[in-house]
Amino acid sequence: MMGYAFATFELGKNYGKAWGLKDATFHVEQGRLAVLVGPNGAGKTTTVKMLVTVLKPSKGRAEVLGMDVVKDCKRIRKRIAYFPQGFMMNLNLTPEGYIKWNLMARGFPLSEAKLKADEWVKLMGLQYCRNRAGWTLSGGERRKVVVATALASDADVIFLDEPTAGLDVESRHVVWRLVRDIVAKGTTILLTTHDMKEAEMIADEVIVINEGKVLIKDAPQNLIKSLSHRYKVAVKKGSFKSGFSSIYSIDLGDRLIIYANDSREVEGLISRLNDPSSIISIDSVGLEDVYLHLIHGG
Amino acid sequence: MMEKVRQILGVAAIESAWVRRQPLWIFQSLVFVIGLIMTLFAWGGEAALKNLMVAYLVIGGWSIGLNTIGQIIGWGRINLTYEFFVASPVTLPIYFAGVVVGIMPYLLIQVVPAFVIAAILNVNFSMFALLLPLSATSLLIGTFTSLSIILRLKNPTNISAITNPLLTFFTFLPPVYYPLTALPSMIRPIVIAIPTVSLMEVGRWSAGVPIGCDLTLSLTSFASWLILTIALVVKKLKWGLE
Repeated sequence: MMGYAFATFELGKNYGKAWGLKDATFHVEQGRLAVLVGPNGAGKTTTVKMLVTVLKPSKGRAEVLGMDVVKDCKRIRKRIAYFPQGFMMNLNLTPEGYIKWNLMARGFPLSEAKLKADEWVKLMGLQYCRNRAGWTLSGGERRKVVVATALASDADVIFLDEPTAGLDVESRHVVWRLVRDIVAKGTTILLTTHDMKEAEMIADEVIVINEGKVLIKDAPQNLIKSLSHRYKVAVKKGSFKSGFSSIYSIDLGDRLIIYANDSREVEGLISRLNDPSSIISIDSVGLEDVYLHLIHGG
Repeated sequence: MMEKVRQILGVAAIESAWVRRQPLWIFQSLVFVIGLIMTLFAWGGEAALKNLMVAYLVIGGWSIGLNTIGQIIGWGRINLTYEFFVASPVTLPIYFAGVVVGIMPYLLIQVVPAFVIAAILNVNFSMFALLLPLSATSLLIGTFTSLSIILRLKNPTNISAITNPLLTFFTFLPPVYYPLTALPSMIRPIVIAIPTVSLMEVGRWSAGVPIGCDLTLSLTSFASWLILTIALVVKKLKWGLE
C-alpha cells in the first residue's frame, strides 16, 4: 500500500488576529489527484502554501511524503512543484524559453530541459506561439505555460492553485487530460478550484473546506450519492400554479432551482407549472449541489 | 556542483530576460559611462579619470545592488516568482547568485571601462585584486541597503520610486565622483559614515589615489553598514516558512 503524499494534522495559520486556516486534518495517498474546494477565504491557498513550505504553520503540523514541512523543508522542496494562484510567466521569455530555463533552475541539464520544454509546448498545444514573447500571449496562454512548467518538473507531488481559472473550455480540457496522465504515472497532485464541474471530472477525491475547517473528504461519486436529491429543475420564477412551495430550492433572481428526489417528483413539479416552456433545464445533481448543501448546511 | 551551476544559470536566464529584451537600456548605460569618462577627463584630467575608474568598480557594484538586484528581488516577492522558486529545489543562495549573474551585463558596462581606463593610464593591474572583491562587497551592501527598506514597505508596488532617489542621493551628493579632500577636514569624519563615501575611500586607497580621511574610519564605516544591513535583511527576508 502506498503511503501518504501529504497529510495535515489540526493544521492552522493565523495572520495577526485573523485565522486563515483554523483546524485542517486530512491526508491524500500517493498517486492520487485531490481537489481542494471551498468559498473565497475558506483557507485553500493558505493550506497549499503551508504544504509547499512557503508559509509556516501557526498550529498543528503538516507532512509531505512523510517529511515535516518545517523540519524537512529543504528535502521536501526537492520533490515538489508549485503553481501559485494568479502566477504569470515572465513576459520577456518565450513559452519554450520559460519552461526550459525553469527546468534548468530545478537542476535539469540543458539538453534535457530543451527536450522537455519542446515536448510540453506541444502537449499544451502552444506550438503556434512557442517562440513568441510572453507579453504577446493571452492571459490563458501565459497560464498554460506556467502550468506546463510545473507539470514538466518530474516532481513527486505537484500543487496547482487554481491552474485553470480564466482558461477557455478547450484549454481546460487539455490541462485536465495532462493532469490525469501525470497522475496515472504515479505523481500526486493537489489542485484547488472554484469550478465544481472540474472537481467532479478530474478528482480522485474532493476535500471541501470552509471557514478554515475541513468539512468532508471523499470521492466525488460518493459525495454525489450522499445527496438525498437526484435531480434539479431550473424554472422561471412565478411559473407555478398557486400553492406550490419547496424548501429545497435556490433563488436565482427571476429563476429558481428546485431539487427533486426522483423522476416522479420531477414529473410532479412539471405538472404544477402554468406553462411547461418555463422550464430552463432538468439535470442530475452534481458536485456543485453537494458543495452548496455542505457550505449552506443543506 | 554542476547541478548547482545549472540552477544558477537557469535562474540567471529567467531573471535577466528583461535585460535581453531591452537592449536600449544597456546602450543608455554605455553612453552614460563613456560620456562621464570624457567629461571628467576634460575637466579633471588623469586624477579625475583614476577616481572614476575606482567609482565604476566600487560604486558600480553598489548601484547595481541597490537599484537592480533590490528591485528584482522586491518585484519577485510581489509577482510570486519568489514563492515559485521557494517551493522548488532552488535555494536562497542559488536564487541570489542567479540574480547576480543575470545582471552581469549591467555590471560589465562599468567594469570593462574601468579596465580600459586602467590601461590608458598605465596603472598597475594588481590593484584590481583588491578593487574587484571591494566591488563585490559594494554590490552586497547596496543590495542589503535596498532590501532592508523594500522589505519593510507596507505597499511595495513602486519600488523604483524608492531605489532611484536613494541611488541619486548616495551617489551624486556625497564625495564619490569628487574627492573627499574637497570638503572641509572637520566634516570628513561625518561624511565617511555614508556607505558610498567609505567604500570609495577604501577603493581610492587600493588604487593609490589620495584619501581624505583615516582609512580605519572608512573600513569601520563600511563594515558597520555591511553588518547593519545584513541584520536588517535577515530579519525580514525569509526563504519560505513565513
